[in-house]
Amino acid sequence: MKDFPDYAAGDSALHSLNPLTKLILTFVLCVACFLTKDHIFMASVILCDVCLAAAAGMFRRSLRVLASLLALAFILFFVQVLSVRQGSVVLSLPAGFYLTDCGVSSSLTSALRMTAALTPLALMLSVTKMSGLPNVLVKLLRVPYRYAFVLTAAIRFMPIFFEETARIMEAQTARGVEHDTGSFLKKARLMLPVCAPAFASSVRRIKAGAVSARLRGAGLRTRECVYKNYPFGAPDAAAFFFCALVTAAAIIV
Amino acid sequence: MIRIDGLGFCYQGASKQALSDITLDIRDGDFIGVTGPSGAGKTTLAFALSGVIPHHLKGEFSGSVRIGDIDTAKASPEEIARRVGIVCQDAEGQLLASTAEDEMLFGLENFGTPREEIEDRISYALDSAGITDLRHRTISSLSGGQKRKLAFASITALRPEVIVLDEPTADLDPQSSRRVFETLRALSVSRGATVIIAEQKVMLLCEFADRLAVMDGGRIALEGPVREVLRQGDRLEEAGVGMPGVSVLSRRLKEAGLYSGDIPVSLAEGERMMRKAAADAAF
Amino acid sequence: MLRFENVSFGYGGADVLANVSFEIAKGEFAVLMGGNGAGKSVLCRLAAGLLKPSSGKVTVGGHNTMHVKTSALASLAGFLFQDSDRQICRGAVAAEIMLGLENTGFDEKSRRKRCEVMLEMFGLDGRRDPFSLSGGERRKAALASVLAPEPGLLILDEPTAGLGCRERTAVMDIISRLNEEGTTVLMASQDMEAAAGYARRALVLNRGGVAADGGVRDVMRRGEVMREASLLPAQIPSLAAMIGDLGRSFENAFTIDDMVSAVLRSRNSGRDAAP
Repeated sequence: MKDFPDYAAGDSALHSLNPLTKLILTFVLCVACFLTKDHIFMASVILCDVCLAAAAGMFRRSLRVLASLLALAFILFFVQVLSVRQGSVVLSLPAGFYLTDCGVSSSLTSALRMTAALTPLALMLSVTKMSGLPNVLVKLLRVPYRYAFVLTAAIRFMPIFFEETARIMEAQTARGVEHDTGSFLKKARLMLPVCAPAFASSVRRIKAGAVSARLRGAGLRTRECVYKNYPFGAPDAAAFFFCALVTAAAIIV
Repeated sequence: MIRIDGLGFCYQGASKQALSDITLDIRDGDFIGVTGPSGAGKTTLAFALSGVIPHHLKGEFSGSVRIGDIDTAKASPEEIARRVGIVCQDAEGQLLASTAEDEMLFGLENFGTPREEIEDRISYALDSAGITDLRHRTISSLSGGQKRKLAFASITALRPEVIVLDEPTADLDPQSSRRVFETLRALSVSRGATVIIAEQKVMLLCEFADRLAVMDGGRIALEGPVREVLRQGDRLEEAGVGMPGVSVLSRRLKEAGLYSGDIPVSLAEGERMMRKAAADAAF
Repeated sequence: MLRFENVSFGYGGADVLANVSFEIAKGEFAVLMGGNGAGKSVLCRLAAGLLKPSSGKVTVGGHNTMHVKTSALASLAGFLFQDSDRQICRGAVAAEIMLGLENTGFDEKSRRKRCEVMLEMFGLDGRRDPFSLSGGERRKAALASVLAPEPGLLILDEPTAGLGCRERTAVMDIISRLNEEGTTVLMASQDMEAAAGYARRALVLNRGGVAADGGVRDVMRRGEVMREASLLPAQIPSLAAMIGDLGRSFENAFTIDDMVSAVLRSRNSGRDAAP
């Protein structure tokens, strides 16, 4: 779980894309995953992301991220598949639980969809500096800084949540909680009670960040404040073309 | 001039006042150290000076804090931010960017620092914190102490009139801790910045600060020039605050009738004391 | 009790620790000193099995950390995190203390008993929410939870950082008492006064390796090594180094008592020498 990405320094083509391009690309891929029900499309989004990450020199990292996301997807699948009651029963379980055909297929879709929608986000966060996103929103799109900050904070929630979860798990492991067990089911069972405190401390951290920003004059930040320039180049044009293709594909399938 | 008058604060949902009846005047350019056991109210006092309370944290606020001509309860957070810079205790929570350089830029950009000045300010602040080599590193790759130094540099780069620090050396090594104090002294002497620092390292406070405020249970138990405060050893002990080794040594020597001079507050003064005591002993 | 054999560890290409070897015997009280970023926290994590060495071998109580699950090491080695607030996961002090006991093979009855003992030892109220306590009390709660399963080895990452004088003494006295009863202690610390006052052995980390290893007094007198590693000796030993010309007993003074008796001695010898 500890590998959900924060920015990793690099000088690949992906790193040097305009942050706005990366934001749009991510947004398009996420939305596309929600528009379609096609499993192959979602799987190709994931595959495509892994390829892009490999091109940016982050292949192994992207696999670790994917593994964490799949773990989360599995929990989602598990919870949903047990709670869906419609459809015909394919498997009866003890304690009054049963699995249905509708349940299995809809849970599979949502688990896959979540994974496919989050991988582009994860990739973007590893190749984009945290200040890049609000900066382009403020400078290029003239969004007031407050809203740009809120949007960035929302996007940042995931990595912070993963980091907090990892921290609590490490602390518990040091006191004998078997987070390092080989059994996947046991691991998932131990992880569930970690989520609530991790969520609470993530919220605390986001709040502390917002206060800290205000204390350093974030309320005064305007377009003119942004020191760096964010030009567009040929790779950005290519990325936009790719976006159009993905949108078309998502609408067709 | 900072004037704290009858300041009291109770956090929302807390059963006990975090601060009660704090009255303190701080002159421009003063270097004042605040110490006391944890839970004594040092952090809350730092929050009151920087406008975190009552603007960002809720609770019952009474009395007033005036910084120059503004009242922190009435002024906007931005007005306060222009004058007061704060280095928070949770240095990690203060950092917002991905790289050290971006972190330094953030505040400078917000306050509209002229472009041609930005480079100088960044390199000077990084250098004075001793972290020039970390400039292009990602923040997630820094150690706890390195993050704290960066949080410190990102505030000193802003050159605020008033700089408030909440345990800025908590996880720093002894030499880096000294360096933080040396930087602060330089800011206070050469730029006339007012420094208010909450700190547990009494030894450093005694050497660098002009005045010392000892807090206990949300109140100021003792306040005055460093040497005067140190002379009241019993009251310090009562408030759970230690003294520098040389000051304790002078008390012991006095009790044994081996020394009769003034209480030393720094190592250099300790040396003088020992030479005198040894010379007296020889006759 | 704890052994590092040619241990190296690195992230992202750069080595944080390179070829580190040392051994801490049962019952020792060792302090690990070093500048910011010298690798103290990494070394502590390696010792607790939370990180595994890139090469070399770490053994805790005879178990190679590579071959034992980290969670299984918990009953052997207690670990206090540098940022101990982050290790608190439960809403009441007593529940927090129970967490360590539930996973280290204590039955229901002995758990309750140990919990009572810890609350008593630290003077804590078990019903309080840890986050409603002051920083010093919260550190005590975290430490109580680490100590509850009676680990034979204590790994403490900066146990006194941010504590006031009184709390610092209280925490260090408890650690010191446990050490006298046989617990092995490895404490990473920037607090030179605590190191000088409590530890017997000192290891200095610098540039990824052990720059000095020996008795605390001897190590603190090696001014050059200390300065190189961004450290400064505690105030009394520093003073002693400055006034070495006054005589042996001044030069070798390490505590306030040593200093006072050095003055007394020079007074007596002064009298003897006087005509």
